[in-house]
Amino acid sequence: MVYIFMFILGLMEFFATVSDNVQVGGAIGNVYRNSPYTLTLHISIFSIFSLLMAVAFFNNAALRDHNNEFNEILFTTPLSKPGYYFGRFFGALFIATLPLVGVFIGMLLGTWMNSIFEWIDPERFGPFQIKTFVNNYVLFILPNMFLAGTVIFAMANKWKSTVISFVGGLVIIVAYIISGSLMSDVDNETIAGLSDIFGINTYALETKYYTPVEKNTISPGFSGLLFWNRLLWTGVGILILLLSYFSFSFKQKNKKVKKENVSNQKSTTTFLLPKLTPSFNTNTNWIQFKSFFYTNFLSIIKSVTFKILFLFCIIILVADLSGGFEYFGLQSYPVTYKLIDSIKDNTDIFIIIIVVFFSGELIWRDRDYKINEVIDATAHTSFISMAAKALSLVSIATILNLFFILIGILYQLLNGFTRIELDVYLLDFLYDNLPLFIAFGGITILVQVLSSNKYIGYFVAILILLVWEIVLSIMDVGSNMLDIGGGPSVFYSDMNRFGPGVKGAFWFNLYWILFAVLGLLIAGALWNRGTKDSLYNRIKTARKEVPKSYRSVIVIATAIWLGIAGFVYYNTQVLNPYYTGDTLEELAANYEKTYGKYRDVVTPKITDAKYYIDIFPNKRDIHVKADLELTNASESNIDSLHFYMSEDWDTKLIIPNSKEVFNDSTYDFKIFKLSPPLQPGEKMILTVDNKFITKGFENNRGTTMIVKNGTFFNNGAILPTMGYNSDYELSDKNIRKKHGLPEKERMPELTPGVTDLHMGNYIFNGQSDFINVETIVSTSADQTAIAPGSLIKKWEENERNYFHYKTDTPSLNFYSFMSAKYEIATRNWNGIDIEIYYDKKHNVNIEMMLDAVERSLKYFTENFGPYYHKQARIIEFPRYRNFAQAFPGTMPYAESFGFIIDLEDETENNVIDAVIAHEMAHQYWAHQLIGAYMQGSTLLSESFSEYSSLMTMKNLNNDPMKMREFLKYNHDRYLRGRSGERLKELPLYKVENQGYIHYGKGSVILYALQDYVGEQNVNTAMKNLLEEYRYKGTPYPSSYDFIRHLEPEVPDSLRYLITDWFKEITLYDNRLKEANYKALANGKYEVTMEIESSKIKADSLGNETRVAINDWIDIGFFMDSDEEVLYNEQRVKFDRAKSSITVQLDSLPYKAAIDPRHLLIDRVYSDNIKALSLED
Amino acid sequence: MSTLKISNLSKTYPNGVKALDNVTLELENGMFGLLGPNGAGKSSLMRTLATLQEADSGSAFLDEIDILNQPAETRKVLGYLPQEFGVYPRITAQQLLTHIAVLKGITNKKERKLLVDYLLDKVNLYEKRNKSVKGFSGGMKQRVGIAQALIGNPKLIIVDEPTAGLDPGERNRFYNLLADVGKDVIVILSTHIVDDVRELCTNMAIMNLGEIVYQGSPQNAIEELNSKVYQKIVSRDTLQQYAKDYKIISNKMVGGQPLIHVFSDDHPQNGFEQVTPNLEDVFFSKINTSNVLV
Repeated sequence: MVYIFMFILGLMEFFATVSDNVQVGGAIGNVYRNSPYTLTLHISIFSIFSLLMAVAFFNNAALRDHNNEFNEILFTTPLSKPGYYFGRFFGALFIATLPLVGVFIGMLLGTWMNSIFEWIDPERFGPFQIKTFVNNYVLFILPNMFLAGTVIFAMANKWKSTVISFVGGLVIIVAYIISGSLMSDVDNETIAGLSDIFGINTYALETKYYTPVEKNTISPGFSGLLFWNRLLWTGVGILILLLSYFSFSFKQKNKKVKKENVSNQKSTTTFLLPKLTPSFNTNTNWIQFKSFFYTNFLSIIKSVTFKILFLFCIIILVADLSGGFEYFGLQSYPVTYKLIDSIKDNTDIFIIIIVVFFSGELIWRDRDYKINEVIDATAHTSFISMAAKALSLVSIATILNLFFILIGILYQLLNGFTRIELDVYLLDFLYDNLPLFIAFGGITILVQVLSSNKYIGYFVAILILLVWEIVLSIMDVGSNMLDIGGGPSVFYSDMNRFGPGVKGAFWFNLYWILFAVLGLLIAGALWNRGTKDSLYNRIKTARKEVPKSYRSVIVIATAIWLGIAGFVYYNTQVLNPYYTGDTLEELAANYEKTYGKYRDVVTPKITDAKYYIDIFPNKRDIHVKADLELTNASESNIDSLHFYMSEDWDTKLIIPNSKEVFNDSTYDFKIFKLSPPLQPGEKMILTVDNKFITKGFENNRGTTMIVKNGTFFNNGAILPTMGYNSDYELSDKNIRKKHGLPEKERMPELTPGVTDLHMGNYIFNGQSDFINVETIVSTSADQTAIAPGSLIKKWEENERNYFHYKTDTPSLNFYSFMSAKYEIATRNWNGIDIEIYYDKKHNVNIEMMLDAVERSLKYFTENFGPYYHKQARIIEFPRYRNFAQAFPGTMPYAESFGFIIDLEDETENNVIDAVIAHEMAHQYWAHQLIGAYMQGSTLLSESFSEYSSLMTMKNLNNDPMKMREFLKYNHDRYLRGRSGERLKELPLYKVENQGYIHYGKGSVILYALQDYVGEQNVNTAMKNLLEEYRYKGTPYPSSYDFIRHLEPEVPDSLRYLITDWFKEITLYDNRLKEANYKALANGKYEVTMEIESSKIKADSLGNETRVAINDWIDIGFFMDSDEEVLYNEQRVKFDRAKSSITVQLDSLPYKAAIDPRHLLIDRVYSDNIKALSLED
Repeated sequence: MSTLKISNLSKTYPNGVKALDNVTLELENGMFGLLGPNGAGKSSLMRTLATLQEADSGSAFLDEIDILNQPAETRKVLGYLPQEFGVYPRITAQQLLTHIAVLKGITNKKERKLLVDYLLDKVNLYEKRNKSVKGFSGGMKQRVGIAQALIGNPKLIIVDEPTAGLDPGERNRFYNLLADVGKDVIVILSTHIVDDVRELCTNMAIMNLGEIVYQGSPQNAIEELNSKVYQKIVSRDTLQQYAKDYKIISNKMVGGQPLIHVFSDDHPQNGFEQVTPNLEDVFFSKINTSNVLV
């Protein structure tokens, strides 16, 4: 058996090593397929899997003699207790580690075979390091199996029951999950690191800031948190083992004998055999069904396994809920969908385990208890019994689920949340979980009936549960018709209820439920009634066992099922075809190969746009007519236009003086010849007639851009693409290599001066600049539709609402159209209308949002210049996407991203303020000034916006320690992001649209910069840049232009910061080694700090070089242990690696720190602060 | 009056063992004893009649019902107590019997209640009706098994080794019960205890190696052996010699010495004395045709 496990794990690892389709935790980009990090990650993930195997080995070791009833013979031989006990234990331990050694073999074999066959690029493999394997064995495999083994071995010896041993396995998994849930909070990392019994999270913590180079070279080692964690849990294991050893005895315990209450009352009733009238008709079937159901249901409810699993679910659910719904240090309101998600995440797996486990129990129960022959010889139809078993499984699952819903509701009430939506809970259960349970119940019962014993049945069921999806993904099959219980998501949104997937989910559910019923019908026919017989014989004799009508029932059920399957197939494959991952990849590769020649095709610019949009929320249709003015801004004639339509749209293009000369339906690519050609400077009108018609339902949820309530799409989605579409191209370098494509630069290189590249911005790359937009948009009578600009007119026509919007100032050709049932809150600030469009359920934070917009406007107009729109709108949209985005004057904002966050106790900065300020800042940084299409452009939009947002926070709360708390997330974002970089990290001024750099690092750097050179100076530099380029169009600025404006604002002594922070990748390694104080005679205190500080330069892969330090860094003190009161901060020049600083202070602080406000990027910040000790 | 006609029933297991070899029997109401050593095919025959096992060839008819091809019909008139009878844990005797009564078509709730109480009383378990069956002793469980076999109005009751694990008192009680119901229906009682058959059955068959080696009434069988059975106490070391020289039916130890029974048409002299044959002699003479020491 052990070799089978070893083989399976080895095989999985082999494929994970040599195939891109199989990923375990993911080894991507620059991390080698066989790097120490990858291997360790895989080992730790497989550790959890092999726990089940460990249960088998240790349970077997403990109970083998007992189960074979060999114990009485063995224990009477002169065998020593320690020899027996520890011999068995360590034997099992060794065996239990072997399957994981299979992972080593799989990886080595994969690496070696790949070096011969080159399935994937051999460059993605690193050198072999024996240390990685040894350390993994000693640090992960051995201690984890040891700890798990002690628990299981102890429990097995104590209770002598295989079921209890499996429960032991579950206890360990639950302990792991609970310790993992501590991880979510950045603050208690040390506790999380120590409490993880497997060390998996600990390793994740230790490596969270690892650069790709470190991941490729550093094996897990015997130091730090990981080492302590391992020591701790091995110690616990030893303790358990010893306790168990001392309570173990060869002697059997005397079984407890319950004294029966002997009743002396002899009954004197006489019993007469009644006249019996047995009947066998439909009613009999029903009564038999009830009786079967009752006995099966009771047997589950009363079983120990059920009770234990049930208790686990509750513990895990309550543990998860007790943490609340944290969001950047704030709590979300416990809205129903949050609880639904939490219930699903925590308990679905257990309910499925219960279904799988008890399907086996119920099917084999009669045989296990040797009552099968009696039951089988009674006059009932097997299907009745199967159906009753299935129903009892489903009922158990339902009752559990309902119970968890009750817990959820109690949780809501306890938190004072009174918008209880019982209907949402129940509907979600009906749409999502119930069909899943039914499908699994039916299938596992069929599997058990078909297999020749219970354990084979379990094995097959688990294969279906775990392996089937992997098989599908390897085969690149995307259809939910093959994914058991699969169907479109009915992910709930407060705004749009169960969303566009409901219709599809209904049909898919019907399909799966009928499939389960069919499975039960077959199980009923093939039920092994009587002596055990082979499946073949059962099929042969099935016809005798079932009544004639049964066959027609099967035929009819099959026919209905096939009908539904056909309908689903028609809808999901014919009406709404979709592409699987591999096909898309292939298409993308071929696209580039075929049409790459058009990469430099010259396109006209869109210089004016008028839209006529009709939104039909209930039908989920959109009709668009757009008149676009195209101008030839180039210096040559344009004789042809290239367009890519979207296949979801029915598009008609009306182009004057043109002829369609090319049409490729695969890519919906058309070329129109213009005669005469468009002369330089000449304009033409392109009319787009575009219709999005929703047909039937899709394999997945379908688009969420047009929904019943909360439609949100932007102009890019409703217009064809013009010119060459580089977005179609593959970007991942390894995938490109696979298709024989050259490496693709993410962005053109940063170039100084004014070049051709400066003629287009990074969003539209030359296809448009700042334009006027006019929109007439209509929607259903109960909804409000919003387009960019001021509302000119509003009217009703044909029971529809019409709105006419027009921009007040030329803006980027980038805007959203939205429609929903909105409440509107307004406020006027200096002639600007602040408007919040929100769902009426989400009214709590509206005042705060208005405040936030107002504050942003105030700071930005004071520091950067005027706001050019006449309105600033925040518009709620459903949580299908979780972000906020800035379009000219309008900012769509996801319901989950701020509308449900509890701000009741928040008086100062919070994430909603920050997000709103960020989006408002984009009205300047992106919408007034936008970078050229080259490296560094997002510095000017994203970093500037994030900085502007931080500055509004800073001015609001005026508390440096609160700002440190806020910046913590940005530091973390940057350091984690660079750890997961797939291609290369770039210095800030060359950022290639990398989020962790432009948001994370950019904001940290700019914030530190204003602290070093002054808020006013940084703002002035930004303002000057803005004034040079505001709404100007070509040429667009680059990050060089910012640096050009920044340099005059930075004193010479600090010029090095521009190089270190913008032009290079610089990290600091500061450490406060000692901090001692002594009381002076004058009543003052003298504090001496021993500080180590160094500066690190990193290259794009994370190779680090330490360089001499010659930098200004703050030192400071905290008066309290919580680091809330900063005291006597001063900026000191450090010019050597080790310095000793002595400061005289008036009062005695609690802690000392280098860089107390965490301005600098430091991978380990916690060692910067130390509590003061009295000098000896 | 029901009739059970079994004709040429054969069954060979995949491992080559012939469990039923051309079995032909005809039974009418009353107790029918099926004797045979372990492995003779008794249980196979009974399971086949209880619709729990397929036969390779032959037929079995209970009146008009084709047992082999109409299992559902057969089960409606069947009471069956298998050799191994277990019970569900965590369920009381009353619950279990009620469940089985439902499965046997007793759909009337009142009838069911009265029936279950009646049977519980008959098997002397009424006092324990609300106790979990799991805690019952082997004998008590067996009594539950007997009770369930009697549920409904079976025309055919098959009981496989029913008295195993019962103490003598319980056994008597059981036989009285069986004799009670056996008047009006066919009861097939399989056993390897010869006395059971003698006491209860009007008809019997002896099976060995899948074949029916005798069918008739116990009395006739014994009469056939009249004045043909002789016994002698011999010493252990001469046992082999006797086995060679005489048709030994059986040997058993009496006071530490083997007592042999031999079959002979004439008086074998040599210290043998004639005995009145009993059913045991019949049994052994039928199955021990090769006259080896058993």
